[in-house]
Amino acid sequence: MQNLIAFLIRFRVFLGFLAFQTLCFFLYIQFVTYPRSVFFTGAGKVNGQLLTWENQFYHYLRLSEDNEKLQQENALLRGVTFDNYYQLQRPTLEKNDTVYQQRFRFIPVQIISAPTGQRNNYFTIDAGELQGIKKGMGVISSRGVIGVVFKVGKKYSLIKSVLTSDINIDVIVGKKQIRGILKWNGMNPRIGSITGISTDVYVPKWSEVRTQGSTGIFPKGILLGKVKAKRRMENQSLWDIDVLFKEDLRNVHEAFVINALFINEIEQLQQKIPTEINE
Amino acid sequence: MKALLRFIFLFFVFLFLQVFLARNLELGMGAHLFLLPLFVMLLPFETNVFVLMGLGFMMGIIADSIMNTYGLNASSLVLFAYLRPFVFKSFTPKEGYDALKNPTLSEMGWTWFLFSYGALLLMYVFWYFLVEIFSFREFLLILRNSFFSFIFSMIVALILQLFFRKKTLS
Repeated sequence: MQNLIAFLIRFRVFLGFLAFQTLCFFLYIQFVTYPRSVFFTGAGKVNGQLLTWENQFYHYLRLSEDNEKLQQENALLRGVTFDNYYQLQRPTLEKNDTVYQQRFRFIPVQIISAPTGQRNNYFTIDAGELQGIKKGMGVISSRGVIGVVFKVGKKYSLIKSVLTSDINIDVIVGKKQIRGILKWNGMNPRIGSITGISTDVYVPKWSEVRTQGSTGIFPKGILLGKVKAKRRMENQSLWDIDVLFKEDLRNVHEAFVINALFINEIEQLQQKIPTEINE
Repeated sequence: MKALLRFIFLFFVFLFLQVFLARNLELGMGAHLFLLPLFVMLLPFETNVFVLMGLGFMMGIIADSIMNTYGLNASSLVLFAYLRPFVFKSFTPKEGYDALKNPTLSEMGWTWFLFSYGALLLMYVFWYFLVEIFSFREFLLILRNSFFSFIFSMIVALILQLFFRKKTLS
């Protein structure tokens, strides 16, 4: 007993240090594994308010830029017709010109915090449960994909941005629509990387990278960026492709959260894929 | 009493600067500006190491909760506070520490401050990126980020020290 007490006294500083570190790592694990808890994150109430004030302050400094962006987007939207609608009656009819059902709804949000210097960057937006945001919804801006909703608070939410190591958004590259997976290597916030494309496929430089939409959370064909460079991966017959994002994520303020109305149906169907072969 | 109030004031000033200013700086090459360790550095010599760690932890948690970095700053600051006495011990001047002095640039001199703060900051920065990136495959990224952040944070710390020289003396 005396030895134990002597030990505790002798190493009290180190033990205190260990206790604090354990607490820190506990918080880290809690953040990563329990998506429901918004305690101690930017999606909490007090911090959300603080970030809103900060955002309002910086908002004044970029009004003209934002205006220009909105104008560009307006011009683009004029040209768009039924892209976001889902065709109900397909080739059976010769003229399928009238019957469409809406497939995606877009909730406009403000990004109030967007760090880009971390290895894994989580953005904060000013909409939450009250606006109908749910975990797993996609987030886009007028010029590309921002990320996926990660944590939902009452009025604020966290987004796992494309600047995280395992964002894994399914994309298609070029005119041949080669499938790949988008990741980020942490080096440059303008450049993402695509893996999963075999080296026997020719990928021309500056070919366009678009969303594939196979998971149903993003519409198909949103332009993300262009292929900037490609390298062979070590020990693998896969390309490591650099994508120059169209959206500069260091400077993004307005975004849309995508409410995919058919997602439940897609998920239910995909759950029915048999996992064992011996059926 | 006056000193205590000054440190409470500094606590919030450093937090404010780190959270609302340093975070919004876009420096490139993975460089971050770390201001919080400077606060832990400036606390008086006789401060108990538990108080140091507690303050570092509190400061880190507040910063983390706003910056969405979940315990990252807290962990690094606790490490910084834990190592501070060891580093101070190994850089003791010949005549020992003067109890009346504070560990600042103007009172302890350039060499002492550069070496002790440099050593502590280097460990802080390296630990920060090691925990954040958490993979040895990306070791180069860790080294690159640490290197540029270290240089930048050091320069800003020195500038801040020179800037507030007279105030700290009074």
